[in-house]
Amino acid sequence: MSESIFIALQVYGLGFVIAMSMAVIIKVMLYLIRHFSKKATKIN
Amino acid sequence: MDVLNLFQGIGTMFAQPANIAIARIALILLGIFMVYLGKKEILEPLIMIPMGFGMSAVNAGVLFLSATKTGTIFNDPLMSDTAGLMNILQINWLQPIYTFTFSNGLIACLVFMGIGVISDIGNVLRYPFASMLIAMCAELGSVATFPIAHAMGLSYGQAAAVSIIGGADGPMVLYTSLILAKDLFVPITIVAYLYLSLTYGGYPFLIRLLIPKDIRAIVVKTTKKDDITSGEKLAFAVIANTLLCLLFPVAAPLFVSFFLGIAIRESGMTKYIKLIEENFLYGATFFLGLMLGVLCEASTILNPTVLTLLILGMVALLLSGIGGIIGGYIVYFINGKNFNPTIGIAGVSCVPTTAKVAQKEVHNVNKYSFILQFAMGANICGVITTAILTGIYVTMIPLLK
Repeated sequence: MSESIFIALQVYGLGFVIAMSMAVIIKVMLYLIRHFSKKATKIN
Repeated sequence: MDVLNLFQGIGTMFAQPANIAIARIALILLGIFMVYLGKKEILEPLIMIPMGFGMSAVNAGVLFLSATKTGTIFNDPLMSDTAGLMNILQINWLQPIYTFTFSNGLIACLVFMGIGVISDIGNVLRYPFASMLIAMCAELGSVATFPIAHAMGLSYGQAAAVSIIGGADGPMVLYTSLILAKDLFVPITIVAYLYLSLTYGGYPFLIRLLIPKDIRAIVVKTTKKDDITSGEKLAFAVIANTLLCLLFPVAAPLFVSFFLGIAIRESGMTKYIKLIEENFLYGATFFLGLMLGVLCEASTILNPTVLTLLILGMVALLLSGIGGIIGGYIVYFINGKNFNPTIGIAGVSCVPTTAKVAQKEVHNVNKYSFILQFAMGANICGVITTAILTGIYVTMIPLLK
């Protein structure tokens, strides 16, 4: 029983880290896309 | 002439053990009842009508395959040896669908691709942290059910497959059970689809029980006017897909299907969108329903673990609903009470049912509160987090054996 609880915690912990990392990736990606598209507009 | 040999559907009932014959009659009646519930839209008609139809037909259409053996000419899910399979593919009319789309998970991927095509991820990109946090809280059932299921005697693989019901995503349950619990995938998938149809009726009660009326009526004030372009959505689909495939190659077919659907939608390829939405999604859903019904043959479904699965499926969805609402409350407090916790239920990724349930419940107490955009963000994130947990389970569990 304790082993299965540990597995569940591992699954949830890993899932949480990946999900929140994706949220960070979204923010960074949006920042980079907007930053570089602004620069491109200025050059044009 | 022997009348029971002429009408073999009836004749076989006398040749089979009494419990099988009784189960057949019960399943015929249940199938007819499911068609009725589908027609009345109490249960999801897209799944329930073909499923109920298949269930009543397969249990009625049992015949004598030999002097001592009974069976149907619908489908044989237990056939695995190549020679036997080649033979049976030419006899059973639904065997090609089962062998070439069901047992390899293709049908789950086609449904998932369709979900991708109809999903707007704009709100995921607009509110990524709140949406992901709620979605992860709404995965409570997908993990908390695991030790309960194991304590009730299921193996790790079976426990993981039944736990994923908490993610409320049919294709994911199908995919996980095919990989981790092939022996139980029929009852697990049937339990999952039966319960998923019930979320529309059951979750409103959970919302009313856990969220007081005045909090349910909250209008979320937002000053953010953040237009997400289709290029940004496409970029996210490509990056997220590549990263998740890198992390969990075993679940790559699911990730690719979902994010490819999103990519096609955001690329504006109308012909592909139409093809996937109108043909793949509805075609796959139809055959999924019919095949699930056909798999409900009395001799296959009379498994002593079915009762355990019924309890665990209910526990998983209940815990996920509670977890989602807890997630809603967490964001409510983090945002200085400028958030409606009802949105939390949408973290349970039954797209778009739970988001609609959240909006409907809010609308019932305050006609001026519109939370659908936040709810859809949490809803799509729920799909992504369930796919992540599926990836973790199907990768981790075989390593434990």
